[in-house]
Amino acid sequence: MMFARRDQFDAEMEEEMRLHRDLRARQIHDDGRVKADQARNAAQRQFGNTLQLREEIHKAWGWTWIDNLRQDVRYGFRLLRKSPGFTLVVIITLALGIGANTAMFSVVNSVLLRPLPYPNPGQLVSVFEANARQGVKFNGCSYQDVKAFRESGVFDAVAGANRHDLTLTGAGDPTIVATVVVTPEAFPLLNVNPIAGRYLLPGDEIKGAAPVVVVSEGLWRTRFGADPRLVGQPIHLDQQSYTVVGIMPAGFRVPILGPQQEIWIPVAQDPLFSTFIPRRGGHFLGVMGRLKPGASLASVQSQVDAMGKRLQAEFPDQNGGWDVQIAPLQDVIVGNIRTPLLVLLGAVGLVLLLACVNVANLLLARATFRAREVALRQAFGAARGRIIRQFLTESAVLALFGAILGIALAWLSTHALASLLPADGMANRPIAVDGWVLAFGLLISAVAMIGFGLAPAILTSKSGVQSNLREGSAQSGSDRGRLRLRSFLTGAEIALAMVLVIGAGLLLQSLRRMTAIDPGFTAANVTKAMVSLPRYEYKTPQQWATFSDSLLERLQAQPGMKDSALAVPLPLADGFVNLGFTIAGNAPLPPGVQQNADYVSVSPGYFGLMGIPVLRGRLFTADDSTSSPRVAIISEALARRYFKNENPIGRKLIFGFPPESDQAREIVGVVANIRDAELTKEPGPMMYVPFAQAPFWGGEVVVKSTLPPASVVSAIRQSVASIDKNLPVTDVETMPGVLEASTAQPRFRTWLLSAFGLVALLLAMAGVYGVVSYSVASRTKEFGVRASLGATPGVIGKMVLMEGLWLAAAGLGAGLAAALWLARFLKSELYGVAAYDPITFLISVAVLLAVAILACYLPARRAMKVDPMVALRYE
Amino acid sequence: MTRDEIPPGTLYMLILRVLARQGELHGFEIAKAIETLSQDILQVEEGSLYPALQRMLIKGWVRAEWGATEENRRARYYRLTAAGRKQLEQEIARFDRVIGAVARVIEMA
Repeated sequence: MMFARRDQFDAEMEEEMRLHRDLRARQIHDDGRVKADQARNAAQRQFGNTLQLREEIHKAWGWTWIDNLRQDVRYGFRLLRKSPGFTLVVIITLALGIGANTAMFSVVNSVLLRPLPYPNPGQLVSVFEANARQGVKFNGCSYQDVKAFRESGVFDAVAGANRHDLTLTGAGDPTIVATVVVTPEAFPLLNVNPIAGRYLLPGDEIKGAAPVVVVSEGLWRTRFGADPRLVGQPIHLDQQSYTVVGIMPAGFRVPILGPQQEIWIPVAQDPLFSTFIPRRGGHFLGVMGRLKPGASLASVQSQVDAMGKRLQAEFPDQNGGWDVQIAPLQDVIVGNIRTPLLVLLGAVGLVLLLACVNVANLLLARATFRAREVALRQAFGAARGRIIRQFLTESAVLALFGAILGIALAWLSTHALASLLPADGMANRPIAVDGWVLAFGLLISAVAMIGFGLAPAILTSKSGVQSNLREGSAQSGSDRGRLRLRSFLTGAEIALAMVLVIGAGLLLQSLRRMTAIDPGFTAANVTKAMVSLPRYEYKTPQQWATFSDSLLERLQAQPGMKDSALAVPLPLADGFVNLGFTIAGNAPLPPGVQQNADYVSVSPGYFGLMGIPVLRGRLFTADDSTSSPRVAIISEALARRYFKNENPIGRKLIFGFPPESDQAREIVGVVANIRDAELTKEPGPMMYVPFAQAPFWGGEVVVKSTLPPASVVSAIRQSVASIDKNLPVTDVETMPGVLEASTAQPRFRTWLLSAFGLVALLLAMAGVYGVVSYSVASRTKEFGVRASLGATPGVIGKMVLMEGLWLAAAGLGAGLAAALWLARFLKSELYGVAAYDPITFLISVAVLLAVAILACYLPARRAMKVDPMVALRYE
Repeated sequence: MTRDEIPPGTLYMLILRVLARQGELHGFEIAKAIETLSQDILQVEEGSLYPALQRMLIKGWVRAEWGATEENRRARYYRLTAAGRKQLEQEIARFDRVIGAVARVIEMA
């Protein structure tokens, strides 16, 4: 637009001047002194240089800079086209740097920077309970506590929620739907309106209210064909009829309960959690609150403190030791993902810095060849500023291409990066290249442009006309200055690469230790699948036990399926259930002190199948049934902690899954420890009960078989369907897969950082190669003289190698110092390896030295092959 | 016959003067008018007329409009603005001052 207007302006100017010249020519001709064409020439002479006039006019209008820019851009393009190899290398280097940064930023942007997608997100807090004495930092709250919070009036609104997936039947194949069990206050609290009908209301929570459900837009479309009459219709969950009262929009989620949420039901209507409502000790609700407008976090926290103290005083048995705390909801959602994200962002920033240094190095190398061109321009009167500007314009053209390609790369990689998101997902906040990310990408490109373009520009324009014009510019002083700068930049590259390699090395070490962890059970050849019984059809524990008996019986009858068992919950695959217990015959615990252990209900074959050895006593047998005395098996950790110098066999523990919480069970065996909650968490105390004595409405079927997992799964499906064809089999996985999934996040981060480290190594290698080979090329004569004076190729090769090694050594020193300083940021990411792990540091140094030597190899070979005669004649 | 180039800095004044007297002129007419008025003693360095006119446009001393010559060729015609008229007075006053001073210097010598 601007250019088009100026072109028209120039055309009009030209027309005006042409008229002038024509009229003058006619006058000269009419005066009769000369012929027509001579007259025209005379008029032209008299008029002056049109181009210069036009420049003067442009200057008057203040357009000079645009003209220059246009000229520089055109010149820059031409130059880049002339050396496509160089251009390609630079653009790809920049695109990788910019792309990686933009992609990482898009993740940081969506996770850390963008506010939660609810109105007034700053008012949303997470409310949780902590128990310093038990070392519990973050726990849910009981239904009764949530009620107390609400009645205290501290918050504008308080709501609690948990997950308990139900089986949906009567709408296509039976399936498990992701169900959020919620107190109705959650909806007005989050302030999101349904797209049809209503959301849940406090009236739905009253005892005896009709069962109601709110479904997600997604479920409404996929399962109910977007039927507009769904609201008011009954649907069947766990074989019980619920009336659909509303449909929530696709983006709606109750925070912290995962990205997959399909239906929402009131707590009072849930077959499992409704039984928890009266129990003050049951910390089963994840609680969020909305602060009153204008209330500060600190003032609310002090009110909440007082409330916690009041509850402790009023209910010392259940609330003793439990403090109530609040934290911004966003912080809780982001959780422990913040540090790794910032570490990765920092690492990727280093990669961009490296890319810039490398490009600066390349530009400097090229500046050497362009010194004569610059000298020529200077000789013709180009000002220094003008030359710097020209060089910067060329850099800008490169940066622009790098930015376009880089942002495209970032856009392509956002999908893959989704696995960096917190597990307690934000599916409603996908990673995307939005305006902010775009702005970030362009900003870092601009910074990069100045970063890699300025030094070569200044250095090239500095040297005098004389020295640059001189033949054999390799000997000129300015050239030595450039080489010095290039050596410095290469040292910096090695230092940066060192930091990244050490970081990647530490994470790799940590990952190696993590995957080498013995979970305490043998995962090989074990496949698992979940079977869940609808609570309203399978009402009694007796039915659950009968179902599981017949399921295992049918399964074990199939070929190759002898080794099958049942467990609820299955270690690492499911969440863990932590229950309090007391030891019969011991003095009662002082108020507020609790003994806890993870609880698992298993069928007799479980321990053998999973390879968990028995250390004392016996395992469960088929004789441990409802009619026999209650028994339990404890883990080694429980035995060591609570039965220090005694034999636990024969003692009784009092515990159980509600409503059997006060059941005394005789300890019949002690088994080895396993890791059930997290792979990286030291095993804690555990207690097992026979499934027959503590049945559950479903559980994980585990099978150890040499048959392929697919056949195992179809055998499980067959057995389940032969009992009840309405039962879904879900969450099918192999146990090695479960183990691998538990380290998926650190694994992904490690590979990402390793990729950065590898790129850094390659860039650093290119840097060393460039500097050393240039130095060799400019010293051909010197090598020739040395060779003619009797230096063997070995001596010359060593000289070149030493040059590279000096570069590397300087960079390594700086890199080590930086890495030592930066390693502490990785501390929280490391498992079983110190942030200053000497082995990792040593290996990293060795790797970088090897890379430096490798980079020197070709130039050294070239130097060794210098023929003294050729070298001397060449000068 | 030799013609003198106009003293530097007086080009604006001459253009303004010519336009004040003759109203609307295109570039070549301005150049010719300066020559005629000065009885062919002063000669405008022809091309520099145009940057000067552009600068005067920017300053708002003159206005330009496209029109047609007698031979029906497109030409840009310039005319004085009020600001231009005021500028002319100032330029003449300044010129008189300078010439007066120069004259005094010459007399004293």
